[in-house]
Amino acid sequence: MKTNIIMKVMNVIFWIVFIGLCIKTGALLVSLFVTLFINSNGAEDTYMGLDLLDIYSFSVEYYIGVASFLIAITAMKANLAYFVIKLFMKFDLNYPFNEKTASLITQMSHYALGIGVVAIIAESYADRIMRQGIDLQIDWGAEQFLFFAGIIYIIALVFKKGVEIQNENELTI
Amino acid sequence: MAKRKMSLNELSEKVGLTLSNLSILKTGKAKAVRFSTLEAICEVLDCQPGDILEFVE
Repeated sequence: MKTNIIMKVMNVIFWIVFIGLCIKTGALLVSLFVTLFINSNGAEDTYMGLDLLDIYSFSVEYYIGVASFLIAITAMKANLAYFVIKLFMKFDLNYPFNEKTASLITQMSHYALGIGVVAIIAESYADRIMRQGIDLQIDWGAEQFLFFAGIIYIIALVFKKGVEIQNENELTI
Repeated sequence: MAKRKMSLNELSEKVGLTLSNLSILKTGKAKAVRFSTLEAICEVLDCQPGDILEFVE
């Protein structure tokens, strides 16, 4: 009973996270579009106070690069949140170990690894820009996602083993 | 089963296994057999485990 309530609350939380990340991705995209084609002051408040005007003033190419990395990582995070929602929709506590859940968790680990790799590339790109004297304080969160990917991968392996054991148990007469 | 003139339904009732589980046993899809199940089948069919188990390469 308690577990069911926790699962429902977590499902709602992940829907909120997913919608929030979708909104953030959209806002970043609109901001990039506005800055490039309508008003360059849009870079001053890209999203929730994120100021990229210095980079824009220094080089439009760098601005597009940083904004693209931000959009890509946020979109990937939104997709990862959707994976979690799908997991909640398919997860059955009475029959937890099944092929679909195991493959979904494996996909999540690969995706988290992908986000980590993209975030590392973004970090080194931002470092390169900062070495030219521009202040760019963005937390890309590469380490967290790599750590996250490792943990999920281990959980995916446990689930795969669980599926095997459950199948064997079902075929024990 | 044929020698005892017993149907699958009758065996499932006497042994206490579901028809689907008996079918898994009969078709060789089962990964393992519990000693209690083997004992029950042998008791009902009045035979030895060797009479119902066969090693196939």
